[in-house]
Amino acid sequence: MPDTIPAPALPVGHYGYDQVDRAFLADRVEQFRDQVARRIAGTLSEDEFKPLRLMNGLYLQLHAYMLRIAIPYGVLDSRQMRELAHIARTYDRDYGHFTTRQNLQFNWIKLEDTPDILARLADVDMHAIQTSGNCIRNVTCDQFAGAAKDELVDPRVHAEILRQWSTLHPEFTFLPRKFKIAISGSPNDRVAARFHDIGLVAKPAPDGGTQFDVFVGGGMGRTPIVGVHLRDDLPEEDLLAYLEAMVRVYNEYGRRDNIYKARIKILVQALGTEGYRQKVDAEFAAMNRARYRLPPETVAAIRARFGTPDLHAPDDAPAQLDRARRAEPAFDRWVRTNTHPHRAPGYISAVISLKPAGGIPGDATSAQMDLIADLADRYAFGEIRVTHMQNLVLGHVRQDELHAVWQALRGADLASANIGLIGDIIACPGLDYCSLANARSIPIAQKLSARFASPELQETIGPIEIKISGCINACGHHHAGHIGILGVDKKGEEYFQLTLGGSPGSDASVGQILGPALPEDATVDAIARLVDAYLVHRTGDERFLDTYRRLGATLFKDAVYATA
Amino acid sequence: MSDVRNNRREAGGSSVITANRLLDGRIVWQVEEGTWSTLIDDARIIPNDEIEAAIAHAAGRQQADGLVGVYGVQVDAEAATPTPVTVRERIRAFGPTVHPDFTPAAEFEAHA
Ligand code: HEM
Ligand code: SF4
Repeated sequence: MPDTIPAPALPVGHYGYDQVDRAFLADRVEQFRDQVARRIAGTLSEDEFKPLRLMNGLYLQLHAYMLRIAIPYGVLDSRQMRELAHIARTYDRDYGHFTTRQNLQFNWIKLEDTPDILARLADVDMHAIQTSGNCIRNVTCDQFAGAAKDELVDPRVHAEILRQWSTLHPEFTFLPRKFKIAISGSPNDRVAARFHDIGLVAKPAPDGGTQFDVFVGGGMGRTPIVGVHLRDDLPEEDLLAYLEAMVRVYNEYGRRDNIYKARIKILVQALGTEGYRQKVDAEFAAMNRARYRLPPETVAAIRARFGTPDLHAPDDAPAQLDRARRAEPAFDRWVRTNTHPHRAPGYISAVISLKPAGGIPGDATSAQMDLIADLADRYAFGEIRVTHMQNLVLGHVRQDELHAVWQALRGADLASANIGLIGDIIACPGLDYCSLANARSIPIAQKLSARFASPELQETIGPIEIKISGCINACGHHHAGHIGILGVDKKGEEYFQLTLGGSPGSDASVGQILGPALPEDATVDAIARLVDAYLVHRTGDERFLDTYRRLGATLFKDAVYATA
Repeated sequence: MSDVRNNRREAGGSSVITANRLLDGRIVWQVEEGTWSTLIDDARIIPNDEIEAAIAHAAGRQQADGLVGVYGVQVDAEAATPTPVTVRERIRAFGPTVHPDFTPAAEFEAHA
């Protein structure tokens, strides 16, 4: 069926831009170039310029400007990764930071260089639009999309449809507050769907099409809430119309008088699930549905602009992988912790840990980015995914080639065998970079990952998620950490509050505060005592989270505070 | 930009004035009127009862000086060299604690 095979120029794993997209981006860069020139000349004041630069992803942070670049649904191609490496080398300090929203941040950008950087990004179909402000932000997606064995529907096509719908949406440019959407197509939630303004889970419909579970009103920040389950049967055809109705209701009724009460989660709590649902249903019934209808032909047309990998592994690929695992225990361990089962025979997905022991979670140097781009070209159809855990993924690797991938990663300090383990810590930039921070997140992550560096020890401790935020905005997802660490400010000094029992997944829950905040130098020891207490009390193959849920906080409280 | 945490000024204390450079965003400290340094060691120390007027004056000419977000930072009276009293401002002054190469002092050395 040659007519369904996409042109070879299309990137595998994400949508291929057309000339209209490219012309728009080029215009937008020139518009910003002009705004920057006017700011430097003084004809635009900082107050006038700030919203304009934020619309282009440029923040003024603690030490310099920070540029946040969108990676739609977390998928990059090798050419884009090389461009990011080039920007890191040329305009920044030779590294970039991958974030929990599957974006990339550069921490040392100069205002005067920004138009050139944006022009370079536009050359590879990238931009920083809607990475800031009260609009619909980058839609995040399952890092194993289109590859995972447990996936029911590849959510990237719908993520792209949502991207097109939300980008420059005229009604939704000034929402009461920022708006974050995540989408998955697997019953195992890897996107924290229940902690987003809207979380979607795609699944097959009884009629053979696609339908969605819809969660709404989840969020972190100072009011952490697990989203409510609004629908379990939203038909694909109504996806845009229904989301349009959901966001319209928020736009109309969401609070604009108090920034702390402006997110949709507060509205959903205030109206109640039923109250919100009724308003959405009324809007949905009244709107021009034809305009937002998503017919199967449109979905097919978008799908056709995604390159698809030609998956053909040799029959003995699994046997070759088995042999390599038996021959090398370190490789075997890495395969156990850092891979995910693939839907296609002979394939596997590999997670590249950006969490070396003692390292900065999510940072990658330009040399590492180039190497990963090369590996993607050679072994994974040129496609790279960013995870919300701040790691990277090669989605489609042949099992007989996995050992070569691992060796190359190991040579670049990219093969820590710690995915889902205690070394796989989420940390926001914290007080080392962020102007809103109370305390530093990164040094705590570095000390913890160094303390628990041993891969044997990490495997013994088993699955555990530690997440660190430098302030209550919760960019480091601490509320959803099995162990959450929140930086607080006490008279200008850093303290850390621990929460236990959070979970981002299908069993989502908000962590509970354990007790008084601890000084920086006591925090890492306190975590070690929590882990010790867990190892003493766990039964069978309970995770830390399960032991906590079974036994409650008291014994952990004693472990932290009794000895203090 | 100024932050409520930086306005905790004690009577009898002293402060320095800081801002970001407009073009590259880098942190600078006022040495004297119209002159700014990336090194807090060079900063002019001003008694807290004069600081508000000095900040207002510096803020008034920030566009001409190529600066944004002028504000004052209290420093430790006991320290030998200007040292902010809050950890936030110490990190601004001395650089991110996680990249020793990126501290203002190390950069100054590298370019000297
Ligand atoms: C460094 C500049 C940053 C600033 C100024 C900033 C600001 C904020 C603010 C104000 C909030 C609270 C929003 C609300 O509750 O309405 C927030 C939440 C959040 N941010 Fe950031 N953030 C920054 C960096 C990051 C980074 C690096 C990441 C990814 C690692 C990130 C991901 C998130 C997430 C996931 C949330 C919580 C989810 C939510 O409720 O929206 N942010 N951020
Ligand atoms: S949680 Fe706070 S400190 Fe961390 S990045 Fe977000 S705003 Fe900054």
